[in-house]
Amino acid sequence: MKVTITDHEEVTVVEVTGDIDSKTAPEFERNARAATEKSHKIAIDLTEVEFMSSAGLRVLLMVYRNIKGQNGKVILVGVSEDIQDVMSTTGFINFFTIVEKLDEAIVILKQD
Amino acid sequence: MESKSFPGIVDSLDSLREYIGELAQQAGLAKKPTYNLKLAIDEIATNIILYGYQAAGMEAEVVVLSEITGQELVVILVDEGAKFDPLGKELPDSDYFSKSLEDREIGGLGIFLTINGVDEFSYQYSEGKNRNKFVMKIAAT
Repeated sequence: MKVTITDHEEVTVVEVTGDIDSKTAPEFERNARAATEKSHKIAIDLTEVEFMSSAGLRVLLMVYRNIKGQNGKVILVGVSEDIQDVMSTTGFINFFTIVEKLDEAIVILKQD
Repeated sequence: MESKSFPGIVDSLDSLREYIGELAQQAGLAKKPTYNLKLAIDEIATNIILYGYQAAGMEAEVVVLSEITGQELVVILVDEGAKFDPLGKELPDSDYFSKSLEDREIGGLGIFLTINGVDEFSYQYSEGKNRNKFVMKIAAT
């Protein structure tokens, strides 16, 4: 798994490539935390993520809490059907905006 | 039953999921149940590795036993860690899932996803070993 962080003006994008499990989640968490510390408008791009375990859900929970605490917004991008099903089973889906493309996420976040 | 061993470390999770994917393919399991089984195995294997082995300072293997019959794919994870029954824990209930994310306790999610994702899940402890059993029904095509 690889994580890259890029800034698009006031929006910070966290892009993940690869599987998120209990081996890789700490790296995802470190990067996601760094992103929430410098911006309160975050897009997490999961287009290249095929698999995410509960370790990844925990990171999303952390991001949601940090961002909510500073009245910000987080949008998830390109979430696979399998992962969306898991988010739905656990009720996580109700708390996140999910879009297909990164461009859409950036437009929405900038409007806010 | 077929048997394959993996070192009890988080680095094994990737190849473990890949192996489960191969078994699912041999069994003719559809895409969605395949993902659910991979997830269930990953969650239980994670518990074994992090708590059964790592936290206890133990180095041991996770053994995957499997069998494909006409109707089912059966996978059993066998480990030598301390006795731990995943079903012994209280699982998140509907009350939990109606809570907003800020109010939720973390934990129990992995086991919830495991039980929710497979057709049958059972646990047995015998001869000093934990046996977590997963059964997936193979849909007739």
